[in-house]
Amino acid sequence: MGLLGLSVPAAAADTKANRLVILHTNDMHSRIEPFPDNAAQYAGMGGMAHRATLIKQVREQEPHVLLLDSGDIWQGTPYFNFFMGELEYKLMSEMKYDASTLGNHDFDNGLEGLQKQLPNATFPFLISNYDFTGTVLAGRFQPYKVFEKAGHRIGVFGLGIELAGLVADKNFGATKYLDPIATAKEMVAKLRGPEKCDLVICLSHLGYKYQGSKVDDFKLAAGAPGIDLILGGHTHTFLDKPDVVAGPNGHQTLINQVGWSGINLGRLDYTFERGTRRPSVAMASVVPVQAA
Amino acid sequence: MHFLFSRTAALSLLAALALSSGCQRAAYVAKPTLQPVTAQPVGKTLADDPTAVATIAPYRQRVTEQMAAVIGTAPSALVKSNGESPLANFVADLQRTRASRELNQPIDLGVMSNGGLRAPLPAGQVTLGSVFELMPFENELVVLDAPAAVVQQLFDYGAHVKMAFSGATYTVSPDGKATDIRIGNQPFNPAQNRVYTIAISDYLAGGGDNMVFFKSIKPRGTGVLLRNAIADQIRELTKQGKPVEAKVEGRVKSTS
Repeated sequence: MGLLGLSVPAAAADTKANRLVILHTNDMHSRIEPFPDNAAQYAGMGGMAHRATLIKQVREQEPHVLLLDSGDIWQGTPYFNFFMGELEYKLMSEMKYDASTLGNHDFDNGLEGLQKQLPNATFPFLISNYDFTGTVLAGRFQPYKVFEKAGHRIGVFGLGIELAGLVADKNFGATKYLDPIATAKEMVAKLRGPEKCDLVICLSHLGYKYQGSKVDDFKLAAGAPGIDLILGGHTHTFLDKPDVVAGPNGHQTLINQVGWSGINLGRLDYTFERGTRRPSVAMASVVPVQAA
Repeated sequence: MHFLFSRTAALSLLAALALSSGCQRAAYVAKPTLQPVTAQPVGKTLADDPTAVATIAPYRQRVTEQMAAVIGTAPSALVKSNGESPLANFVADLQRTRASRELNQPIDLGVMSNGGLRAPLPAGQVTLGSVFELMPFENELVVLDAPAAVVQQLFDYGAHVKMAFSGATYTVSPDGKATDIRIGNQPFNPAQNRVYTIAISDYLAGGGDNMVFFKSIKPRGTGVLLRNAIADQIRELTKQGKPVEAKVEGRVKSTS
């Protein structure tokens, strides 16, 4: 056994056993059923029963799947107004979502409204830059979670958008918004360091790209190097393929977002290649390979 | 158990464990293999998942019964767009008339941002469901008593996005300023000592969509949900034999 892994790295065998399939959604906005056939846009698209089928198909083919969401599960159809998010959480639990983060619309029924529905979700909400101390939601969320998949440790953390000005004051109460970049740096250090993760994913509800100084996924990728994949939301951005942000020492961060309302399910496949053992976060490299 | 080992043996065992775990951890480079399109469309080419369908069914029945009720007819879709839009005009106008009726006083301005309207009203039969999609939020219609200086801030804000207001017209100058503001067809003077009444959602009145200049004003509630105000207006039009329609009519002009 090459103790330091300095022997010729084995080529990444793209076999099912070695492959991690990441499926993701963002901004599903209570779109339980597909857009109606007479909708001005997206007629017939979306629908959670259709999505569940697609997810099941992938799970039948692939042993290692992570199913993630980037927030704004709620608000947009009468299902939310009538049942206050209960059905969305139940369906996501049935689809076996592994984690979500919190979007601004997930506060639309206030902290109590969120608290009330949490028992319907069997998956955790990961959020690292909201401090709920002194609210009814104190201690109810984890900043990150490490998943063991395909023999590897996958670190997933969540980042939310600034609530003031976007969510009514009474709906977020004493929740404190912490600087996303500084928080992300801490998360990367922890996940790359003591948590020994091979892949670091951020569920972001910050938004894709803004003019000016407002934090977005690109500023996050540049400001907190070492994230492999940012699964974004909030801006309802449709991307056919992820954007690539080059970081220090050849590291690359991918940014992906798949529109809204469950019109798309994002899919990214990762394989794990034995590399040179390096102590530093920034030394890992991620090279997107376009399939022919 | 540790007394069974010599101190040295225990240490070397620990070291071996640490090394072997070190070999397995952080020694891997994650490589994405991306499909040409990573966004997989979800639509009718996929079968319905029976488990999900069964979970949805009882909820669906309760929603459809109430949402399918037709409350009006629109000859063409009422859409939102950047700047002045038919949909925002329709809603801002009914906010003003409804607030006026509820509080029994004239209301100078109606304010609704395009961002607050979540879906167009479709052409043809307008159902209660359409109104829910347009206005899913539990927002209340409120009235603000705004001094002229705050009204000026509102128009400055509006000029950035060429946003229209019910009860007013103005022109956006080439440098992006609101000029030639007329409220109730009277020229507006920001220096005058006068309070203007504004019909608006409690969300925007509380500083939502960055209308922070409203935050210092205490809103007067009407007790009417904005969604209900919209549905009521459509029902009223239907009762009068009128269609649901609204136009872009030059509430915001631009000199550039």
